[in-house]
Amino acid sequence: MRSNATQTSEISALARILDELDYYELLQVERGAEVSAIKRAYHQSSRSFHPDVNRHLKGDVGEAARRIAMRISEAYSVLRDPRRRRAYDQRLDAGREVRIQLAEARSEAGREAVQQRAGRTPQGRQFFKLAEAALARQDLVSAANNLQTALTFEPDNQSFQQMLGEVRAKLR
Amino acid sequence: MAESEIADVAVGIDLGTSNSCVSFARGSEIEVLSNAYGENTTASVVNLGADGSITVGNAAKANIIHDPTNTIYSAKRLIGRYFFSEEVKKARAICSYEIIEGESHSVRIKVREENFSLPEVGAMVLRELKSIAEAKLGQQVDKAVITVPAYFNDNQRQATRDAGRIAGLEVLRILNEPTAAALAYGFGRNLQQKVAVYDLGGGTFDISVLEIGNDVFEVLSSSGDTFLGGDDFDDRVIDLLADEFQASQNINLRNDPYALEKLKVAAEDCKKAFSVEDEAEIRIPDVITAPDGTSHSIERRIDKTEFWSLVQDLVMRTLKVCDEALQAANVVARDLDGVILVGGPTRLPAIREAVAEYFQQEPRDGVDPDEVVAKGAAIHAASFVEEDTDAYLLDVTPLSLQVGVAGGLCEPIIERNTPVPIEQSRSFTTARDGQKLVKIKVYQGESREASDNALLGQFEFSGFEPAKRGQVAIDVAFQINTDGIVNVMASDRATGQQASTSITLSSGLSQTELERIEQRGVTERVRTETAPAEAAAAAVGTPASPAEPAVPLADEPELPKMPPAAAAEPAPTPAPDLAQDELEIDEEDLIDGATPSLEEDLAEPIAAVASAEVDALEAEEDDAIVPMVEELDASTPPPGDDEPDSLFGDGSADLTEEDPEVVLQPTLDAVSTEEVNTRPEVEIDLDLECETRVEAAQTHPTFGGAASDELGGEDSEIVDLVGGVDVVRLEPEEGQADGDGEPELDLGSIEELDDSAILLDDAPTDDSEPDPDTH
Repeated sequence: MRSNATQTSEISALARILDELDYYELLQVERGAEVSAIKRAYHQSSRSFHPDVNRHLKGDVGEAARRIAMRISEAYSVLRDPRRRRAYDQRLDAGREVRIQLAEARSEAGREAVQQRAGRTPQGRQFFKLAEAALARQDLVSAANNLQTALTFEPDNQSFQQMLGEVRAKLR
Repeated sequence: MAESEIADVAVGIDLGTSNSCVSFARGSEIEVLSNAYGENTTASVVNLGADGSITVGNAAKANIIHDPTNTIYSAKRLIGRYFFSEEVKKARAICSYEIIEGESHSVRIKVREENFSLPEVGAMVLRELKSIAEAKLGQQVDKAVITVPAYFNDNQRQATRDAGRIAGLEVLRILNEPTAAALAYGFGRNLQQKVAVYDLGGGTFDISVLEIGNDVFEVLSSSGDTFLGGDDFDDRVIDLLADEFQASQNINLRNDPYALEKLKVAAEDCKKAFSVEDEAEIRIPDVITAPDGTSHSIERRIDKTEFWSLVQDLVMRTLKVCDEALQAANVVARDLDGVILVGGPTRLPAIREAVAEYFQQEPRDGVDPDEVVAKGAAIHAASFVEEDTDAYLLDVTPLSLQVGVAGGLCEPIIERNTPVPIEQSRSFTTARDGQKLVKIKVYQGESREASDNALLGQFEFSGFEPAKRGQVAIDVAFQINTDGIVNVMASDRATGQQASTSITLSSGLSQTELERIEQRGVTERVRTETAPAEAAAAAVGTPASPAEPAVPLADEPELPKMPPAAAAEPAPTPAPDLAQDELEIDEEDLIDGATPSLEEDLAEPIAAVASAEVDALEAEEDDAIVPMVEELDASTPPPGDDEPDSLFGDGSADLTEEDPEVVLQPTLDAVSTEEVNTRPEVEIDLDLECETRVEAAQTHPTFGGAASDELGGEDSEIVDLVGGVDVVRLEPEEGQADGDGEPELDLGSIEELDDSAILLDDAPTDDSEPDPDTH
């Protein structure tokens, strides 16, 4: 255990800026860091900030230490999970807040997947739905046409592309 | 090691379902502290003597056969559970001691006219272990790390913590058993390994995958089954013997507590025999005396193959849980550098072989499955009192934390296998103008269906400025600490002030209850070390020859003599005479969560008025109505029309933090009453017992009226107060969809439910229009 004075001042300092640090800064890793580096950083941070290390701290400093420990867990939970991390990175890029709730990150990632599949634009979604309906009644020609139209609104939608490919393959 | 002066000692305790173990570590020395009979483990069995004394351990276990109704075993299977839970129902069917319902749907064990909470029973065992440690170390021990199955939920952890406190121990940490085992395995060895800990105890199964990097022990995943353990193996043998006996003699041995205990002991011996033999011989002379006076015996030979066929599915169940854990840890069996077996049943070759085959490697030798957990706990305990912290345990929460939302569903806040400590926040708002209270039900488990998960409690937040619906923002922080214990706090976003929080429903002990129990001091009655010589003799030769009545004690176990301690006491937990009849209720009543927890409330004169009503309704109605009435009656001026919250204000002054249980009960019921009366069509999330209550109320015309009469025409206020039961999630449905696009909650339902709390999502709710065409 390190000397209390250093520890206490370090904790207080970190706690003050905790809400401004993004997860990368908190764990002191590069933005593009590999998962293994993130894991190492998590272990390293835990050596200083795990509640076991700071259990003797009381009052405000103790509370600060607990907040830091919880934030470190949160940062690790987001950055080690590729889906969450992607959602978080997008948020950082958009200049939004430096925290993301875990379930939110998951659902943002989920939303992304749904959008990819069902369309990002109202028109894309509309024609995709028509295509689905057509498929349901085995109308492959109509399905292909609708997918084609959907793709004019979302040309880079891989899900649409793939589905269109499958429909065309069946048509042949 | 007792020779040197140690200022502060802390021990590690493995509080097991069947056996417990205490250990002490200093530096690199780790010692298991043996009991007065030289045994390293002590049976987690408690026997209550006719004189009020309490015996713990193997001596108590030896009494099971002679004194089954006063001997408590496998209590860990009941700790932290609600009375209406499946496990408790099962235990009531097979346990020879009496299990009854306590307040707030908790479980009590009734022995010799005394009621004990599960934490108290745990405390008796802990007290014995504390004494063992003190005798061995030659000094007082008042600090401990206590282990629990990794898969224990918050209720079970809290209850275990309470048990420690009642036993006079400062619980430094509630530590997960597999994590403790891994610590004992890897401590000080500078390992770089991924290991799996397969922990099959007497009543629970855990599997944890850990990555050990020198001094860091990171749990990658934890999974388990708290309904599966060595006891279940015994039960299979018991079933075999009892069924065969029934077929041949037409006598059901299960109906006779003495016969059942004999079967139990024989079954356990049979199981143990397979650790070393290929065949077991079961002989139970004089298992029962038939009505015609003839004495019957059982003789049966079971070979390895037959035993395997009895228990194979249990072993397969554990392996399925292993699948889950490996998958969650993102590893495959061949990635693992070691498999550590923990728990007595893992001595069975059948299990070792199945595990070895599953993990494609032989389990690690040199790990004592009975002691490794206590040793790990001791290592961790030492780090609390010694200067250096030598190991960092990075654990996870094994169960997802969820909140109840509309339609009986749950919404995850913290997923399982998230590292702890962790805090996540959610914002909630009111569903109605002027609403003064927001209620949130918190669950642990993996199901989308609330009723499939463990209910931790219902939290209510008040004290914010009432406003138009949706205008209030209450930030709720959900924390899980390193003990795996959940904490929920709320603050009003407008003022930043901490909202007052109460827990309405909880299986745990309230603060006042805990204090009362501490004062009651049952653990003082635990008779240690100076166990009678004959008991010692019986214990030393443990249950090797179970058929021989080794201890000629307690020939009159039914002796209704009141223990002096209890008699002297002004009935701290009043023996519920009134409720006694109701204790004998059938399963349907149990689901209703109806009757028995009335015991305490009915004992209060204030509630007596209500009791008539309640009695009339009890078949359908939940007992929580009683506290409500009591609360209203108790607050001298009935709450005025304009301040529906005054009832909580009154209560919260003395109750909020200190005694959270009392406050909230009221609303729970008021809600359901009102909801039912006004909008019977609406689906309300009242999980478990509440659900049945609603149905019952719908078919029970008098219920609503009776309740509102009792409330003195307060019903409209109650509606406001309570609003509803559920948290409604306000978010475009897409956002909720998981990657696999499972159908999500229909937004339409929000319109129908004017509920008390709405889950505000940070995500914008307006820009992506909810697709009208959800599947």
